[in-house]
Amino acid sequence: MTILKTSLHEEHVSLKAKMAPFAGFDMPLQYTSVKEEVHAVRAGAGVFDVSHMGEFLVEGPDAVKFVDYIITNDFSGAENLKAVYSPLCRENGTVIDDLIAYKLGEARVLICVNASNIKKDWDWISSKISSFDCTIKNQSDDYSLLAIQGPESYNILNKLGILSSVEFPYYSILETTFENEKLIIARTGYTGEDGFEIFSSHIFAKSLWSKLIALDVKPCGLAARDVLRLEVCYPLYGHELNDEITPLDAGLSWTVKLTKDSFIGKATLVDYKPTYQLVKLSLDRGIPREGYNVLDAENNIIGTVTSGTMSVVSGKGIAMALILKSKNPKDKKYFINIRNNNYEATFHTKAFITGGHK
Amino acid sequence: MSNNIPAELKYTKDHEWTKIDNDTAIIGITDFAQSALGDIVFVELPEVGKVLNSHQAFGVVESIKSVSDLYSPISGTVIEVNSGLQDTPELCNVEPYGSAWMIKVKLSNTQEINSLLSASDYQNFLSSL
Repeated sequence: MTILKTSLHEEHVSLKAKMAPFAGFDMPLQYTSVKEEVHAVRAGAGVFDVSHMGEFLVEGPDAVKFVDYIITNDFSGAENLKAVYSPLCRENGTVIDDLIAYKLGEARVLICVNASNIKKDWDWISSKISSFDCTIKNQSDDYSLLAIQGPESYNILNKLGILSSVEFPYYSILETTFENEKLIIARTGYTGEDGFEIFSSHIFAKSLWSKLIALDVKPCGLAARDVLRLEVCYPLYGHELNDEITPLDAGLSWTVKLTKDSFIGKATLVDYKPTYQLVKLSLDRGIPREGYNVLDAENNIIGTVTSGTMSVVSGKGIAMALILKSKNPKDKKYFINIRNNNYEATFHTKAFITGGHK
Repeated sequence: MSNNIPAELKYTKDHEWTKIDNDTAIIGITDFAQSALGDIVFVELPEVGKVLNSHQAFGVVESIKSVSDLYSPISGTVIEVNSGLQDTPELCNVEPYGSAWMIKVKLSNTQEINSLLSASDYQNFLSSL
Protein backbone atom coordinates (compact mmCIF):
# COMPACT_ATOMS: atom_id res chain seq x y z
CA MET A 1 0.00 0.00 0.00
CA THR A 2 1.36 3.41 -0.89
CA ILE A 3 1.63 5.82 1.96
CA LEU A 4 -0.49 8.94 1.48
CA LYS A 5 0.69 12.49 1.99
CA THR A 6 -1.32 15.55 2.92
CA SER A 7 -0.89 18.76 0.94
CA LEU A 8 1.35 20.07 3.75
CA HIS A 9 3.77 17.14 3.74
CA GLU A 10 6.67 19.23 2.39
CA GLU A 11 6.11 21.83 5.09
CA HIS A 12 6.31 19.17 7.80
CA VAL A 13 9.51 17.75 6.38
CA SER A 14 11.10 21.18 6.03
CA LEU A 15 10.26 21.89 9.70
CA LYS A 16 12.11 18.63 10.51
CA ALA A 17 9.05 17.01 12.06
CA LYS A 18 9.34 13.41 13.21
CA MET A 19 7.07 11.68 10.74
CA ALA A 20 5.17 8.45 11.30
CA PRO A 21 2.51 6.48 9.45
CA PHE A 22 -1.00 7.11 10.78
CA ALA A 23 -4.18 5.81 9.14
CA GLY A 24 -2.30 5.34 5.87
CA PHE A 25 -0.81 8.85 5.87
CA ASP A 26 2.75 9.95 6.60
CA MET A 27 1.93 12.39 9.41
CA PRO A 28 3.91 14.67 11.74
CA LEU A 29 4.20 13.14 15.21
CA GLN A 30 6.06 16.10 16.70
CA TYR A 31 8.10 19.07 15.54
CA THR A 32 10.18 20.28 18.48
CA SER A 33 8.90 18.88 21.77
CA VAL A 34 5.53 17.40 22.70
CA LYS A 35 5.60 19.36 25.96
CA GLU A 36 6.20 22.67 24.19
CA GLU A 37 3.47 21.92 21.67
CA VAL A 38 0.93 21.07 24.41
CA HIS A 39 1.83 24.21 26.37
CA ALA A 40 1.46 26.34 23.23
CA VAL A 41 -2.11 25.12 22.71
CA ARG A 42 -3.09 25.55 26.37
CA ALA A 43 -1.59 29.04 26.66
CA GLY A 44 -1.38 30.51 23.15
CA ALA A 45 -2.07 28.88 19.83
CA GLY A 46 -0.97 25.85 17.84
CA VAL A 47 -1.79 24.59 14.37
CA PHE A 48 -2.38 20.98 13.40
CA ASP A 49 -2.54 19.55 9.90
CA VAL A 50 -5.49 17.18 10.14
CA SER A 51 -6.06 16.89 6.41
CA HIS A 52 -5.97 13.12 6.71
CA MET A 53 -9.49 13.19 8.15
CA GLY A 54 -12.40 12.27 5.90
CA GLU A 55 -15.18 14.54 4.62
CA PHE A 56 -18.50 13.43 3.15
CA LEU A 57 -20.99 15.94 1.76
CA VAL A 58 -24.68 15.03 1.93
CA GLU A 59 -26.96 17.14 -0.27
CA GLY A 60 -30.66 17.10 -1.03
CA PRO A 61 -34.04 17.72 0.62
CA ASP A 62 -33.58 14.76 3.00
CA ALA A 63 -29.96 15.54 3.93
CA VAL A 64 -30.71 16.45 7.55
CA LYS A 65 -33.25 13.67 7.98
CA PHE A 66 -30.77 11.14 6.61
CA VAL A 67 -27.91 12.20 8.87
CA ASP A 68 -30.30 12.20 11.83
CA TYR A 69 -31.22 8.61 10.94
CA ILE A 70 -27.65 7.30 10.72
CA ILE A 71 -26.25 8.94 13.88
CA THR A 72 -27.35 8.47 17.48
CA ASN A 73 -27.23 12.13 18.55
CA ASP A 74 -29.97 14.62 17.66
CA PHE A 75 -29.31 16.32 14.32
CA SER A 76 -32.82 17.29 13.17
CA GLY A 77 -33.16 19.49 16.24
CA ALA A 78 -29.84 21.26 15.67
CA GLU A 79 -29.94 24.82 14.41
CA ASN A 80 -28.52 25.80 11.07
CA LEU A 81 -24.74 26.35 11.10
CA LYS A 82 -24.26 24.16 14.15
CA ALA A 83 -21.93 21.19 14.59
CA VAL A 84 -23.01 17.98 16.32
CA TYR A 85 -20.67 15.30 17.70
CA SER A 86 -22.07 11.77 17.45
CA PRO A 87 -21.28 8.08 17.31
CA LEU A 88 -22.25 6.23 14.12
CA CYS A 89 -23.69 2.85 15.10
CA ARG A 90 -24.81 -0.42 13.59
CA GLU A 91 -28.26 -1.90 14.19
CA ASN A 92 -26.76 -3.88 17.10
CA GLY A 93 -25.56 -0.65 18.70
CA THR A 94 -21.83 -1.17 18.18
CA VAL A 95 -19.79 1.84 17.13
CA ILE A 96 -18.58 2.13 13.53
CA ASP A 97 -16.96 5.53 14.13
CA ASP A 98 -17.46 8.83 15.88
CA LEU A 99 -17.90 11.94 13.76
CA ILE A 100 -18.88 15.57 13.63
CA ALA A 101 -21.83 16.55 11.41
CA TYR A 102 -21.92 20.17 10.28
CA LYS A 103 -25.33 21.58 9.33
CA LEU A 104 -24.40 23.92 6.48
CA GLY A 105 -28.07 24.27 5.52
CA GLU A 106 -31.36 22.39 5.58
CA ALA A 107 -30.28 20.49 2.47
CA ARG A 108 -26.51 20.35 2.97
CA VAL A 109 -24.52 18.53 5.63
CA LEU A 110 -20.77 18.00 5.89
CA ILE A 111 -19.66 14.96 7.87
CA CYS A 112 -16.09 14.76 9.18
CA VAL A 113 -14.87 11.26 10.05
CA ASN A 114 -11.70 9.61 11.35
CA ALA A 115 -9.06 8.97 8.70
CA SER A 116 -8.68 5.34 9.72
CA ASN A 117 -12.39 4.71 9.13
CA ILE A 118 -13.05 6.56 5.86
CA LYS A 119 -13.69 3.44 3.78
CA LYS A 120 -15.67 1.63 6.49
CA ASP A 121 -17.84 4.70 7.09
CA TRP A 122 -18.31 5.38 3.38
CA ASP A 123 -19.41 1.80 2.68
CA TRP A 124 -21.84 1.88 5.60
CA ILE A 125 -23.34 5.34 5.10
CA SER A 126 -23.68 5.11 1.33
CA SER A 127 -25.44 1.74 1.69
CA LYS A 128 -28.17 3.35 3.85
CA ILE A 129 -29.04 6.32 1.64
CA SER A 130 -31.19 4.79 -1.12
CA SER A 131 -34.61 5.48 0.46
CA PHE A 132 -33.71 9.12 1.18
CA ASP A 133 -33.99 12.04 -1.24
CA CYS A 134 -30.33 13.08 -1.02
CA THR A 135 -26.91 12.17 -2.37
CA ILE A 136 -23.53 11.72 -0.72
CA LYS A 137 -20.08 12.57 -2.08
CA ASN A 138 -16.75 11.49 -0.63
CA GLN A 139 -14.74 14.73 -0.63
CA SER A 140 -11.90 13.46 1.55
CA ASP A 141 -9.33 14.08 -1.19
CA ASP A 142 -10.69 17.53 -2.00
CA TYR A 143 -10.28 19.22 1.35
CA SER A 144 -7.30 20.16 3.42
CA LEU A 145 -8.10 20.68 7.09
CA LEU A 146 -6.15 22.84 9.51
CA ALA A 147 -7.00 23.00 13.20
CA ILE A 148 -5.93 26.23 14.91
CA GLN A 149 -6.30 25.60 18.63
CA GLY A 150 -5.67 27.57 21.80
CA PRO A 151 -6.91 30.72 23.57
CA GLU A 152 -5.21 33.00 21.02
CA SER A 153 -6.78 31.27 17.98
CA TYR A 154 -9.53 33.82 17.49
CA ASN A 155 -7.18 36.80 17.70
CA ILE A 156 -4.82 35.25 15.19
CA LEU A 157 -7.52 34.48 12.61
CA ASN A 158 -8.92 37.94 13.22
CA LYS A 159 -5.51 39.50 12.59
CA LEU A 160 -5.27 37.57 9.31
CA GLY A 161 -8.68 38.95 8.31
CA ILE A 162 -10.23 35.49 8.08
CA LEU A 163 -12.56 36.03 11.04
CA SER A 164 -14.31 39.30 11.75
CA SER A 165 -15.76 40.15 15.11
CA VAL A 166 -19.13 38.52 14.41
CA GLU A 167 -20.61 36.35 17.13
CA PHE A 168 -19.48 32.80 16.47
CA PRO A 169 -20.00 30.47 19.42
CA TYR A 170 -18.30 27.15 20.17
CA TYR A 171 -19.55 24.26 17.99
CA SER A 172 -20.95 26.59 15.33
CA ILE A 173 -19.92 27.02 11.71
CA LEU A 174 -19.26 29.86 9.31
CA GLU A 175 -19.17 29.61 5.53
CA THR A 176 -17.20 32.49 4.20
CA THR A 177 -15.21 33.72 1.23
CA PHE A 178 -11.71 34.95 1.88
CA GLU A 179 -9.36 35.99 -0.93
CA ASN A 180 -11.73 34.36 -3.45
CA GLU A 181 -11.53 31.11 -1.54
CA LYS A 182 -14.65 29.43 -0.14
CA LEU A 183 -13.95 28.30 3.41
CA ILE A 184 -15.89 26.32 5.94
CA ILE A 185 -14.77 27.40 9.40
CA ALA A 186 -15.97 25.49 12.45
CA ARG A 187 -15.35 26.53 16.03
CA THR A 188 -14.51 22.96 16.96
CA GLY A 189 -11.43 20.95 17.82
CA TYR A 190 -10.01 18.08 19.78
CA THR A 191 -7.98 19.82 22.45
CA GLY A 192 -10.52 21.20 24.94
CA GLU A 193 -9.36 24.72 24.11
CA ASP A 194 -11.08 27.34 22.03
CA GLY A 195 -10.16 26.83 18.40
CA PHE A 196 -11.15 26.57 14.79
CA GLU A 197 -11.05 23.95 12.09
CA ILE A 198 -10.80 25.31 8.56
CA PHE A 199 -11.83 23.20 5.57
CA SER A 200 -10.28 24.59 2.40
CA SER A 201 -8.55 23.79 -0.87
CA HIS A 202 -5.05 22.36 -0.66
CA ILE A 203 -3.49 25.53 -2.09
CA PHE A 204 -5.22 27.74 0.45
CA ALA A 205 -4.16 25.48 3.32
CA LYS A 206 -0.51 25.78 2.29
CA SER A 207 -0.70 29.56 2.23
CA LEU A 208 -2.61 29.72 5.53
CA TRP A 209 -0.09 27.36 7.15
CA SER A 210 2.80 29.69 6.15
CA LYS A 211 0.96 32.75 7.45
CA LEU A 212 0.27 31.06 10.78
CA ILE A 213 3.88 29.92 11.17
CA ALA A 214 5.03 33.47 10.36
CA LEU A 215 2.82 34.69 13.23
CA ASP A 216 4.58 32.24 15.58
CA VAL A 217 1.64 29.89 15.84
CA LYS A 218 3.30 26.66 16.95
CA PRO A 219 3.10 23.70 14.56
CA CYS A 220 1.83 20.74 16.60
CA GLY A 221 1.89 17.04 15.82
CA LEU A 222 -0.27 14.03 16.52
CA ALA A 223 1.58 13.25 19.77
CA ALA A 224 0.62 16.61 21.30
CA ARG A 225 -2.91 16.18 19.95
CA ASP A 226 -3.19 12.86 21.76
CA VAL A 227 -2.03 14.33 25.09
CA LEU A 228 -4.35 17.33 24.71
CA ARG A 229 -7.43 15.22 24.03
CA LEU A 230 -6.58 12.77 26.81
CA GLU A 231 -6.12 15.54 29.41
CA VAL A 232 -9.70 16.64 28.69
CA CYS A 233 -10.90 13.01 28.30
CA TYR A 234 -12.15 13.08 24.72
CA PRO A 235 -12.53 9.53 23.36
CA LEU A 236 -10.52 8.36 20.36
CA TYR A 237 -11.85 5.71 18.01
CA GLY A 238 -9.78 2.53 18.16
CA HIS A 239 -9.09 3.18 21.84
CA GLU A 240 -12.13 4.19 23.94
CA LEU A 241 -14.50 3.32 21.09
CA ASN A 242 -14.41 0.29 18.82
CA ASP A 243 -16.43 -2.14 16.73
CA GLU A 244 -17.25 -4.35 19.73
CA ILE A 245 -18.88 -1.92 22.16
CA THR A 246 -21.78 0.53 22.18
CA PRO A 247 -21.59 4.26 23.00
CA LEU A 248 -23.34 3.42 26.29
CA ASP A 249 -20.33 1.30 27.33
CA ALA A 250 -18.01 4.23 26.75
CA GLY A 251 -19.72 6.97 28.75
CA LEU A 252 -21.39 8.52 25.72
CA SER A 253 -25.04 8.22 26.77
CA TRP A 254 -25.32 12.00 26.26
CA THR A 255 -24.84 11.40 22.53
CA VAL A 256 -27.54 8.71 22.26
CA LYS A 257 -30.93 10.38 22.01
CA LEU A 258 -33.34 7.53 22.62
CA THR A 259 -36.30 9.93 22.36
CA LYS A 260 -35.55 10.54 18.66
CA ASP A 261 -38.07 9.05 16.21
CA SER A 262 -35.94 6.41 14.62
CA PHE A 263 -32.25 5.90 14.05
CA ILE A 264 -29.97 3.00 13.32
CA GLY A 265 -29.26 1.16 16.56
CA LYS A 266 -32.22 2.55 18.50
CA ALA A 267 -34.07 -0.77 18.81
CA THR A 268 -31.05 -2.34 20.51
CA LEU A 269 -29.81 0.63 22.53
CA VAL A 270 -33.23 1.41 24.06
CA ASP A 271 -33.05 -1.73 26.23
CA TYR A 272 -29.28 -2.09 26.39
CA LYS A 273 -27.57 -2.66 29.73
CA PRO A 274 -23.92 -1.67 29.34
CA THR A 275 -21.23 -4.27 30.05
CA TYR A 276 -18.48 -1.70 30.49
CA GLN A 277 -17.93 1.79 31.79
CA LEU A 278 -15.22 4.25 30.86
CA VAL A 279 -13.28 5.55 33.85
CA LYS A 280 -10.63 8.23 34.34
CA LEU A 281 -7.66 7.21 36.45
CA SER A 282 -4.39 8.88 37.40
CA LEU A 283 -1.18 7.72 39.06
CA ASP A 284 1.15 9.73 41.25
CA ARG A 285 4.06 7.68 39.97
CA GLY A 286 4.39 5.74 36.74
CA ILE A 287 2.70 6.14 33.38
CA PRO A 288 -0.34 4.05 32.47
CA ARG A 289 -0.26 2.85 28.88
CA GLU A 290 -2.82 1.38 26.51
CA GLY A 291 -3.29 -2.34 27.19
CA TYR A 292 -2.22 -2.30 30.85
CA ASN A 293 -4.60 -4.21 33.13
CA VAL A 294 -6.82 -2.49 35.68
CA LEU A 295 -7.44 -4.44 38.90
CA ASP A 296 -9.80 -4.10 41.86
CA ALA A 297 -8.91 -4.26 45.54
CA GLU A 298 -9.18 -8.08 45.45
CA ASN A 299 -6.62 -8.28 42.62
CA ASN A 300 -9.20 -9.25 39.97
CA ILE A 301 -8.58 -7.92 36.49
CA ILE A 302 -11.61 -5.72 35.81
CA GLY A 303 -10.55 -3.92 32.66
CA THR A 304 -7.89 -2.40 30.47
CA VAL A 305 -6.34 1.01 29.92
CA THR A 306 -7.57 2.30 26.54
CA SER A 307 -5.35 5.41 26.43
CA GLY A 308 -2.62 6.55 28.78
CA THR A 309 0.13 9.13 28.87
CA MET A 310 1.92 11.61 31.08
CA SER A 311 -0.15 14.75 31.50
CA VAL A 312 1.95 17.72 30.46
CA VAL A 313 -0.14 20.01 32.67
CA SER A 314 -0.09 17.96 35.89
CA GLY A 315 3.03 15.82 35.37
CA LYS A 316 1.02 12.76 36.44
CA GLY A 317 0.25 9.57 34.60
CA ILE A 318 -3.33 9.77 33.30
CA ALA A 319 -5.53 7.16 31.69
CA MET A 320 -8.93 6.30 30.42
CA ALA A 321 -9.88 2.67 30.96
CA LEU A 322 -12.77 0.44 30.00
CA ILE A 323 -13.75 -1.63 33.03
CA LEU A 324 -16.65 -3.91 33.86
CA LYS A 325 -19.62 -1.84 34.92
CA SER A 326 -20.36 -1.78 38.61
CA LYS A 327 -22.35 0.29 41.08
CA ASN A 328 -20.76 3.28 42.81
CA PRO A 329 -17.50 3.15 40.84
CA LYS A 330 -16.10 6.20 42.64
CA ASP A 331 -16.19 4.43 45.99
CA LYS A 332 -13.91 1.60 44.86
CA LYS A 333 -10.16 1.16 44.75
CA TYR A 334 -8.36 0.72 41.42
CA PHE A 335 -4.89 -0.52 40.60
CA ILE A 336 -2.98 -0.38 37.32
CA ASN A 337 -0.48 -3.13 36.60
CA ILE A 338 2.79 -1.82 35.19
CA ARG A 339 5.58 -4.33 34.52
CA ASN A 340 4.19 -6.77 37.15
CA ASN A 341 3.68 -4.18 39.87
CA ASN A 342 0.27 -2.87 40.90
CA TYR A 343 0.02 0.87 41.49
CA GLU A 344 -3.04 2.35 43.18
CA ALA A 345 -4.82 4.82 40.93
CA THR A 346 -6.91 7.86 41.77
CA PHE A 347 -10.45 7.82 40.37
CA HIS A 348 -11.58 11.04 38.71
CA THR A 349 -15.23 11.99 38.23
CA LYS A 350 -14.28 14.89 35.94
CA ALA A 351 -11.72 15.34 33.16
CA PHE A 352 -8.11 15.75 34.34
CA ILE A 353 -8.19 19.38 33.30
CA THR A 354 -10.87 21.78 32.17
CA GLY A 355 -10.21 23.18 28.73
CA GLY A 356 -10.75 26.84 28.04
CA HIS A 357 -13.33 26.56 25.26
CA LYS A 358 -16.42 28.71 25.56
CA MET B 1 18.83 15.25 15.31
CA SER B 2 21.19 15.86 18.18
CA ASN B 3 24.22 13.59 18.06
CA ASN B 4 27.06 14.32 20.47
CA ILE B 5 29.43 11.34 20.95
CA PRO B 6 32.20 11.96 23.54
CA ALA B 7 35.43 10.22 22.50
CA GLU B 8 36.32 8.90 25.97
CA LEU B 9 33.18 6.75 26.38
CA LYS B 10 32.20 3.29 25.09
CA TYR B 11 28.89 2.57 23.39
CA THR B 12 26.37 -0.13 22.43
CA LYS B 13 24.01 -0.55 19.49
CA ASP B 14 21.17 -0.17 22.03
CA HIS B 15 22.30 3.47 22.41
CA GLU B 16 23.74 3.19 25.91
CA TRP B 17 27.08 4.72 26.88
CA THR B 18 29.55 3.36 29.43
CA LYS B 19 32.35 5.10 31.26
CA ILE B 20 34.87 2.56 32.47
CA ASP B 21 37.01 3.28 35.55
CA ASN B 22 39.03 0.17 36.48
CA ASP B 23 36.42 -2.41 37.51
CA THR B 24 33.43 -0.05 37.68
CA ALA B 25 31.27 1.32 34.91
CA ILE B 26 28.84 4.23 34.80
CA ILE B 27 25.97 3.71 32.35
CA GLY B 28 23.50 6.04 30.67
CA ILE B 29 21.73 6.67 27.35
CA THR B 30 23.32 8.50 24.43
CA ASP B 31 22.49 11.89 23.05
CA PHE B 32 21.10 10.17 19.96
CA ALA B 33 18.78 8.09 22.18
CA GLN B 34 17.41 11.05 24.16
CA SER B 35 16.88 13.02 20.97
CA ALA B 36 15.10 10.12 19.26
CA LEU B 37 12.86 9.58 22.30
CA GLY B 38 11.90 13.22 22.72
CA ASP B 39 10.71 14.62 26.07
CA ILE B 40 11.67 12.02 28.67
CA VAL B 41 9.12 11.99 31.47
CA PHE B 42 9.85 8.83 33.47
CA VAL B 43 12.86 6.69 34.35
CA GLU B 44 12.69 3.39 36.24
CA LEU B 45 16.00 2.03 37.55
CA PRO B 46 16.96 -1.16 39.44
CA GLU B 47 17.76 -1.50 43.15
CA VAL B 48 21.35 -1.41 44.36
CA GLY B 49 22.63 -5.00 44.56
CA LYS B 50 20.85 -6.18 41.40
CA VAL B 51 23.05 -8.54 39.37
CA LEU B 52 22.98 -7.83 35.63
CA ASN B 53 24.14 -9.82 32.64
CA SER B 54 25.29 -7.95 29.57
CA HIS B 55 22.35 -7.08 27.27
CA GLN B 56 19.92 -7.67 30.15
CA ALA B 57 17.14 -5.10 30.61
CA PHE B 58 17.87 -3.11 33.78
CA GLY B 59 15.24 -0.39 33.62
CA VAL B 60 12.87 1.65 31.53
CA VAL B 61 12.89 5.12 30.06
CA GLU B 62 9.60 6.64 28.95
CA SER B 63 8.86 9.60 26.73
CA ILE B 64 5.34 11.00 26.46
CA LYS B 65 4.59 8.57 23.63
CA SER B 66 6.86 5.60 24.22
CA VAL B 67 8.28 3.05 26.66
CA SER B 68 11.84 1.79 26.00
CA ASP B 69 13.88 -0.81 27.86
CA LEU B 70 17.39 0.03 29.03
CA TYR B 71 19.98 -2.71 28.39
CA SER B 72 23.12 -3.17 30.41
CA PRO B 73 26.21 -2.95 28.18
CA ILE B 74 28.17 -5.25 30.54
CA SER B 75 27.75 -7.83 33.33
CA GLY B 76 28.08 -6.83 36.97
CA THR B 77 26.37 -5.75 40.17
CA VAL B 78 24.59 -2.44 40.56
CA ILE B 79 26.42 -0.45 43.26
CA GLU B 80 24.79 2.96 42.83
CA VAL B 81 21.65 4.33 41.19
CA ASN B 82 20.95 7.91 40.12
CA SER B 83 17.73 8.18 42.11
CA GLY B 84 17.49 11.89 41.30
CA LEU B 85 16.17 10.94 37.85
CA GLN B 86 12.90 9.86 39.51
CA ASP B 87 12.03 13.48 40.14
CA THR B 88 13.90 15.07 37.23
CA PRO B 89 13.74 12.64 34.28
CA GLU B 90 14.00 15.64 31.94
CA LEU B 91 17.72 15.78 32.76
CA CYS B 92 18.08 12.89 30.29
CA ASN B 93 17.27 15.35 27.51
CA VAL B 94 19.65 17.99 28.83
CA GLU B 95 22.76 16.20 30.08
CA PRO B 96 22.62 12.59 28.88
CA TYR B 97 26.36 12.14 29.53
CA GLY B 98 26.44 14.10 32.78
CA SER B 99 23.85 14.53 35.50
CA ALA B 100 21.55 11.99 33.80
CA TRP B 101 23.88 9.01 34.30
CA MET B 102 21.71 6.06 35.35
CA ILE B 103 23.57 3.31 37.20
CA LYS B 104 27.05 2.45 38.42
CA VAL B 105 28.03 -1.20 38.08
CA LYS B 106 30.89 -3.26 39.55
CA LEU B 107 32.08 -5.36 36.63
CA SER B 108 32.09 -9.15 36.93
CA ASN B 109 33.96 -9.68 33.68
CA THR B 110 36.30 -6.91 32.54
CA GLN B 111 36.94 -8.81 29.27
CA GLU B 112 33.53 -7.62 28.09
CA ILE B 113 34.88 -4.09 27.78
CA ASN B 114 36.59 -5.17 24.54
CA SER B 115 33.26 -5.92 22.90
CA LEU B 116 31.94 -2.38 23.43
CA LEU B 117 31.91 0.15 20.59
CA SER B 118 34.36 3.03 20.48
CA ALA B 119 33.05 6.52 19.75
CA SER B 120 33.99 6.18 16.08
CA ASP B 121 32.40 2.70 15.86
CA TYR B 122 29.20 4.13 17.31
CA GLN B 123 29.30 7.09 14.94
CA ASN B 124 29.64 4.65 12.01
CA PHE B 125 26.77 2.58 13.37
CA LEU B 126 24.52 5.67 13.59
CA SER B 127 25.45 6.64 10.04
CA SER B 128 24.35 3.18 8.87
CA LEU B 129 20.86 3.51 10.38
